[in-house]
Amino acid sequence: MSQVIAREDLSRWLNSLMEERTVVVPVVVGDMVFFRPVAKAEDMTISRGNATLGPKGCLFPLSHTMFTVEQEDGDVRVIPSSLEREMVVFGLRPCDAQGLAVFDLPMLAEPADQYYRERREKTALVGLACAEACAECFCTSTGGGPHDARYMDVMLSEVPQGYLVQAVTEKGKKLLAKAPLKDMAVQAPTPPDVPRVPTDGIVAAMRRTFADKYWSRLADRCIHCNICSYVCPTCYCFDIRDYQQDGKTHRVRSWESCQAPGFTKIAGGHDPRADKGSRMRQRFAHKLLYFPEEFNNVLGCTGCGRCVRYCPVNIDIREIISDVQKIGGG
Amino acid sequence: MQDKIRAKARELLETGTVDCVIGYERATDGLTARPVFIYGTAGVDRLVFDQTCVHNLSKFLLDRRDKRTAIVAKPCDSRAINLLINEGQLARDKVYIIGVVCQGMPEVSWNRVSKEPQERCQRCPQRVPVVYDYLVGEPVEALPVTFSDVEQMENAGPAERRGFWLEQFGRCIRCHACRQACPGCYCSECFVDQLDPTWVGIRKDVTDNEMWNTIRAFHLAGRCISCNECERVCPVSIPLSLLNRKLEKDVGEFFDFQAGIKAETVPPFATFKKDEHLKGVE
Repeated sequence: MSQVIAREDLSRWLNSLMEERTVVVPVVVGDMVFFRPVAKAEDMTISRGNATLGPKGCLFPLSHTMFTVEQEDGDVRVIPSSLEREMVVFGLRPCDAQGLAVFDLPMLAEPADQYYRERREKTALVGLACAEACAECFCTSTGGGPHDARYMDVMLSEVPQGYLVQAVTEKGKKLLAKAPLKDMAVQAPTPPDVPRVPTDGIVAAMRRTFADKYWSRLADRCIHCNICSYVCPTCYCFDIRDYQQDGKTHRVRSWESCQAPGFTKIAGGHDPRADKGSRMRQRFAHKLLYFPEEFNNVLGCTGCGRCVRYCPVNIDIREIISDVQKIGGG
Repeated sequence: MQDKIRAKARELLETGTVDCVIGYERATDGLTARPVFIYGTAGVDRLVFDQTCVHNLSKFLLDRRDKRTAIVAKPCDSRAINLLINEGQLARDKVYIIGVVCQGMPEVSWNRVSKEPQERCQRCPQRVPVVYDYLVGEPVEALPVTFSDVEQMENAGPAERRGFWLEQFGRCIRCHACRQACPGCYCSECFVDQLDPTWVGIRKDVTDNEMWNTIRAFHLAGRCISCNECERVCPVSIPLSLLNRKLEKDVGEFFDFQAGIKAETVPPFATFKKDEHLKGVE
């Protein structure tokens, strides 16, 4: 027997979770989909494919006040920010959950990033298995899969009777404690076929391609916007700046990207990655070379395909992986 | 069209007239196009031209300022080239312009092409590039400029307009792709990247986002050539063309000027005359 939640009961369950937690769900805005906190589950949309921006911003916000400094009568007080309510992210796809698992490796390694750790500990992930693959995604080539439940707390798969429910972690079991589940004999759906990309041996091939002129030619058409980094579920670069406001100082952390001109500019004005080619190589080397070398062969890409979809000049990581295998293959 | 572009590119590279041809090739979706840099005759057959070649390639010329380069340019792209020549960023004799006649392009994003032409193309007066060395396609007549979209926004009340824009800017993730794609945004240090003093913060919230988007729009007053690259590349679909076209309309009404039509005319904000009066303003 399996546990199933009926479609009409799903909103009821999410609404009950909202009594004590912030619930973040996919919301449609025009032709885009964003993860946003809602006051009632009826505002969500379960759409096919990936959201425009994944839920990484829930754990690692676009902009976030780390702490505030106040001065009063000669005293200086530092007030760290903290997340008051626990959070449930509903409706994320396996590639985005895997993205958070990639985040965990550098962010939770000691000394851990306390802001990320707090959010991660207070957040539960309720995932949706993919019923179909997007044209641009390739998760089965990056260690995941369209029905991969490993990085979720609860995993739902669409079945004719509603959603098949799988409690993956203790955190997930707690969330489901009061869920209106029904026991039914239901067959788990078959995962869709996902296009393959030749990632076997990519780390060694990247190493051998490092000095190739390929990167500067590829960067010819790159406009060095930050879109690929900002839509990426595994990009975690940030910048920090202080703000004066209402007589207080706020230390704010915001997303930043290695693709931005001037990202590596240092005091004195030198920029070790001033040319377009070395910036372009940096992004792919981080995902396919440095990250797996540092973290036990885990690729820094989860195959969500967003960078392929949103790049204004079609810099396509799938094509790059194939090219690098040809140029640097063993 | 494609065959003519390929033949011309081959000739230019063979004769050594240029070292590189910037054009379009097929993208990885097998449907749309992407920019390509062709450095030798062997690559010429990669060049394509069709209704998916929406990108304005002119900004790439700034990466090759001192090198002889040929470029495939639609009418709006050709206006950007004029803008860059006018503002001293490009030398005309370094650029060979393969102009293409344009009947308007559809909405194009990865793996998707609309049936209808883009709205901005339906309002665009130019059908033939304003500057070229070689023209591909049969010349057609220019159309009248219309600003019905801007007029609609002008007719909305201030509160409604403000609400609309705050919602749009609230979505901005400050990826700065609009700037990176814009041929008019070539400052070596953009105001948004200035640290000392800080003009706009790095914080991605509606206040800073509004500052970023409005200051960028003002910097393009009398300079925007309506290629709409900013709006095309925006990953969160902010309708930036509305801002740009409002400024284009005002500059047209006050100064009788349209950016990029002639490389020689000094743009209104690059000149100052003591006795000058705005049209219709006492």
